[in-house]
Amino acid sequence: MSRRHAFLGVIAAGSIFLGASGAAAQSPMASMDAMGSPAPMMSPGMMGEPFGPACSAVPADGAGSFVGMAAVPVATAASANPLLSTLVTAVTAAGLVDTLNTAEDITVFAPTNDAFTALDPATLAAALADPTGLLTTVLTYHVVPGRIAPDALEGTHTTLQGADLTVAVSGDTFIVNGTANVICGNVQTANATVYIIDGVLLPPTDGAMASPDMMASPMASTAP
Amino acid sequence: MPARGAPRSHLLMGAVAGVVAAMVALAVGELVAAIIGRAASPIVVVGGTFIDNTPEWLKSFAIETFGERDKDALLLGIGSTLLIAAAILGMVATRWRLIGWAGVALLGVVGAIAALTRPTGTLIDVLPSMLGAVAGIVALTLILPGRRPALTAAMTDGRPTRRRFLAASAGFIAVAAVATGVSRALAPTASAGDLLAVPIPDEPAGPLPVGVEMGIPGQTPFVTPNGSFYRVDTALVIPTVDVATWSLRIHGMVDTELNLTMEQLVSRPTIERVITLCCVSNPVGGRYIGNATWVGVPLRALLEEAGVQGGADQIVSRSVDGMTIGTPTSVAMDGRDAMVAVAMNGEPLPPVNGYPARLLVPGLFGYVSATKWLTELELTTFDAYDAYWVQRGWAQEAPIVTMSRIDTPKPLSQVAAGRVMVAGVAWAQHRGITAVEVRADGGAWQQAQLASVPSEDTWRQWSLAWDATPGSHRLEVRATDGTGAVQTEARAEPFPSGATGWYSTVFTVAGA
Repeated sequence: MSRRHAFLGVIAAGSIFLGASGAAAQSPMASMDAMGSPAPMMSPGMMGEPFGPACSAVPADGAGSFVGMAAVPVATAASANPLLSTLVTAVTAAGLVDTLNTAEDITVFAPTNDAFTALDPATLAAALADPTGLLTTVLTYHVVPGRIAPDALEGTHTTLQGADLTVAVSGDTFIVNGTANVICGNVQTANATVYIIDGVLLPPTDGAMASPDMMASPMASTAP
Repeated sequence: MPARGAPRSHLLMGAVAGVVAAMVALAVGELVAAIIGRAASPIVVVGGTFIDNTPEWLKSFAIETFGERDKDALLLGIGSTLLIAAAILGMVATRWRLIGWAGVALLGVVGAIAALTRPTGTLIDVLPSMLGAVAGIVALTLILPGRRPALTAAMTDGRPTRRRFLAASAGFIAVAAVATGVSRALAPTASAGDLLAVPIPDEPAGPLPVGVEMGIPGQTPFVTPNGSFYRVDTALVIPTVDVATWSLRIHGMVDTELNLTMEQLVSRPTIERVITLCCVSNPVGGRYIGNATWVGVPLRALLEEAGVQGGADQIVSRSVDGMTIGTPTSVAMDGRDAMVAVAMNGEPLPPVNGYPARLLVPGLFGYVSATKWLTELELTTFDAYDAYWVQRGWAQEAPIVTMSRIDTPKPLSQVAAGRVMVAGVAWAQHRGITAVEVRADGGAWQQAQLASVPSEDTWRQWSLAWDATPGSHRLEVRATDGTGAVQTEARAEPFPSGATGWYSTVFTVAGA
């Protein structure tokens, strides 16, 4: 046995030993919640990391950070995230806060504030004027049952509003219904996996398959 | 061979010796910790100290990068750092033996200090680190050939010396492995020693009243099984308590200090009660609440036995792991079924729920009443001491807020048209629930049917048969407590004294 082999062998054995000792002192890690409130442990890394160009815009710490959002349900998490304040306003106006917070294991496509700004103003106004009708329909069209991992995202999904949406891949970007890009995906919250998108998805009328040409809702003017 | 400076081969041997000595030191540290029955091995205490003091940015980085392996990653980082330090010390020791020894001794002191500064650290906890350091020094000394000529000889033609070095290294690695194995065998498991035998209560709860369980599909069952009971705490390590050595100390502003073993505790009259326990962090519609049958010794009886002195308005209870909880003495003594509980749904408390004993005070949120792994009750004043969560801004007095929720239909679900059974639970422990109302789409409030309950200290199931038209609907629920107060619609966050607001759910009724 050469001394080099012996040296490397001892280092390797030592590393394994120390790692095993550390793992043996095992325990569940208490909540890293920045607010310091009693809450059970949940960590975003459980299902992979968030990805996308806008992820760097998510606050680095506090309740709106990835760590903070992972510990709370999805509507509460969104309310802590400055990128999603318009969405939170819409969800609150529609009376969907508790519903989204207590739905178990869902996937939410969350439009940013800019996405709402880009929406046709007449459509937005009509939705906000009809919170339990059109607004609820539009918002629930952004929710899919089950927590969809990035490797299962591509394809067609039936939303909780009833109609389908389609996710395609272009390069390394996910695009929903051909119009909205996923700009920060696989964000974990306590009850939902979130994909932040840069456009508002409009459900088709009469349950038809969603496509860019068919997305006008009865109360909207011509889609841009 | 150069006269000054160590050849590379000397350094190599030194590094190997240092690493092996570190392994021996850690293994002996674990073995000593296991023998004295304390969670004080060097890695545990240094790791715990490190985790307690980890800066936020490093925590976030660790969680984002490693997910739920974050703690393992941090500990591996500590281990790797120690490995490098050990290799360096070994290399130093080839030339300056005393400095090498001093370095190992210093690491032992660091471990000892970490052990003493843990929340439950006591003097005996320095033993694993100190004895581990001694073992490390012995290993280092015996592995490394003493004289440089011998070192040199080992690397040139000194086959016997080299063989001796390798044999010593291998031997000490084996020692470390054996010590680790023995310490694992000695370490208490979750079911350490003899589990507490559940006492037969002197005052049983009696059978649950007829109609306490509506049994509607999707509705929360009246009794929460132990395995499903919520768990919220700050315990980095679930304390493993040997009930044979456990004791409950009642002291402070009392006439007589009590120190009770488990046998002495349960020799006193015991009661059995059904109590619903709730966490203050529970959001509207949340699940940090559970209901179980508990057996224990009434807290009031224990405090009367000790003789609470006037002015002692706070009971500070302490966990085995150092957690503190403050309970108003007046509430504990006002006749409600506050108890030191030792059994849950017919079994000893599960370790995650506080084995072998916990405090329970019906009507207060858990953070001011439900100390797990209970070991001490100190009678003091609110002026004199802020318990853990109060230090962090949570309310000092925390009666449970009246609350209700809809369990079925589930949010965003599709239900068949026609008659829909809407059902859920409501609670206002120690005030009781006298009414639950539901309204659909902002319409008129309808009275729900209430299940029966064994006392005012539990939640109450409710249901409403509702004729639904097709389409999307929004249901809201509100409860009225035993004082006649209707649950407030105003929304409040859990911080600082519990969430408030009417729970709502949106779902779709199918049909043409």
